[in-house]
Amino acid sequence: MILRRHLSITARLLLATLLAALAGFPLYWMLATAITPSSQLFNGAQPLIPDFTRIPNAFQALAGGTPFLRWMTNSGIVAGGTTIFSLLLATLAAYALSRYRFRGKGLIGFGFFATQMLPEALLVVPMYSLFMSLGLLNQLHGLIMVDTAIATPVATWVLKAAIDTVPYEIEEAGLLDGCGPLRVLGRIVVPIIAPSLAAAGVICFFDGWGEYLFATTFIEDKSRWVASTGLASFIGEFETPLDLVFSAALIFTIPAIIFFVIVQRRIVSGLAAGSVKG
Amino acid sequence: MTYQTSTKGKRWAVRLTPYLLIGSATIYLLVFIGVPLLQGARLSFTDTRLLNPSAGRWVGVDNYARLLTDGQFLGSIATTLLYTVLTVAATMFLGSVSAFTINHTFPGRAVARSLMVFPWAVPTVAVALVFRWIYNDNSGVANSALKTLGIGQVGWLTNPDFGLLSVIIATVWKISPFVMLVVLASLQSVPLELYEAAKVDGANPWKSFTTVTLPYILPTLKTVALLMTIWSFRRFEIIWLLTGGGPADATNTIVINVYRQAFNNSRLGFAAAIGMIGLLMSVVITVTYFIVEARTERKETRA
Repeated sequence: MILRRHLSITARLLLATLLAALAGFPLYWMLATAITPSSQLFNGAQPLIPDFTRIPNAFQALAGGTPFLRWMTNSGIVAGGTTIFSLLLATLAAYALSRYRFRGKGLIGFGFFATQMLPEALLVVPMYSLFMSLGLLNQLHGLIMVDTAIATPVATWVLKAAIDTVPYEIEEAGLLDGCGPLRVLGRIVVPIIAPSLAAAGVICFFDGWGEYLFATTFIEDKSRWVASTGLASFIGEFETPLDLVFSAALIFTIPAIIFFVIVQRRIVSGLAAGSVKG
Repeated sequence: MTYQTSTKGKRWAVRLTPYLLIGSATIYLLVFIGVPLLQGARLSFTDTRLLNPSAGRWVGVDNYARLLTDGQFLGSIATTLLYTVLTVAATMFLGSVSAFTINHTFPGRAVARSLMVFPWAVPTVAVALVFRWIYNDNSGVANSALKTLGIGQVGWLTNPDFGLLSVIIATVWKISPFVMLVVLASLQSVPLELYEAAKVDGANPWKSFTTVTLPYILPTLKTVALLMTIWSFRRFEIIWLLTGGGPADATNTIVINVYRQAFNNSRLGFAAAIGMIGLLMSVVITVTYFIVEARTERKETRA
């Protein structure tokens, strides 16, 4: 019995190590490439284990003279704005979908889901002309508006599932005290579904932080580029040293990972609320 | 009298509340997604070109008729289906195995769990950059590894036989963590009493997996599989940044085809028609899913 337990723990440990190694390798390789001098990178000469004393070189893309810090700031603005606006729209919508019966509810719910099927490549041309007529091209807030439209339906879905699990009796107390629905939502429901808000927030943040197609099509001005546009401009270009490119890629990745680690525990419980009902 | 008016007013307010709550998001999505979609649908019946968009003429179903005999388009349907099926199967498998592995305690679990979910956080452009470098013909670590094994090098992104596989590997790496997180969340919500009851009944671990765990998480698995399917069907960025649809159209999925027709060949009308067909296929898959779901549910309640 004890032997069997040992075996199963060992097997699990091995499997976990294998999976973690597979998941971790490309990230490790990003770091390894960023800290290896360009001259050692080509024709199979790249060492599997880099010289780790060169770690500071991982941050070389932040040095003065490179536009990368500016692009990252822009990405941060877009991701932050997207998260705030999507969560606001989604919380209100999710509360309505979860708590009220009203005409057109099924249709609206389906409409929200249907947005997940729309290919961006089909929308990008009509959206370009819409944004041109609204004077929103080449603006970071224009990009926030696009990304909010992309992120809101998924956030609504996660939050609706979370509100579904909140017992209605808790709210009734507030309603009896004469609070309006907005107050009940803000004072009673939102604190309870905080983990799901964190989960939805991460999804929105990633949408804004990493989005590439619209960012590249809508923003022409190089000083207003976001990091994904800037980074993609290095693809197929051979002037920028490769270690510098990977330093940029790494620096672009790190904030997303940090943000993720902070809310990681909440994500699982937040998604759990949504997955009970499937 | 005043009392009556006020209740009447209140009833109206109650009735209006849900519309006010959901209105902002709905109007927002109608303006920024609904309107462009209708525009796209209209474009698909015109011969609009990118260089002079206002000069497009109404051509009826010409674009759609042309698609029936367009070899590149028919090929892109096959590529999309293959990409979707393989990606969904691989992410569901890898994501579920990861979730089951991480759902029990073992030394180093927290570190393993973090490493396993990190890929989801990596921005797509960074994923594309690092995988392009790993796959590089002469300098990539994938070929270095093959050489050490004595297999010789493979054109991961340059050989049409390998292009789709390479793109699928990169995609699976990036999105499996999402499946893992959702399945893990579902696993952790299985009531422990159910396992205890199974134990009392003398069920071995495999038996309790098939009779307790699996039925409990099955709805979640189905939902995630549907999401993965419709997301894979329209996935653009990672494919575009890795191969741009090449080599020799090996990764030319429907959405990549839309983009190339619109921006490389400047045929906006034709591109929109391809996009509409792609959307239609997604809708058919989703509706089929819901019909099958409703049917099995009805059967189960009857039995």
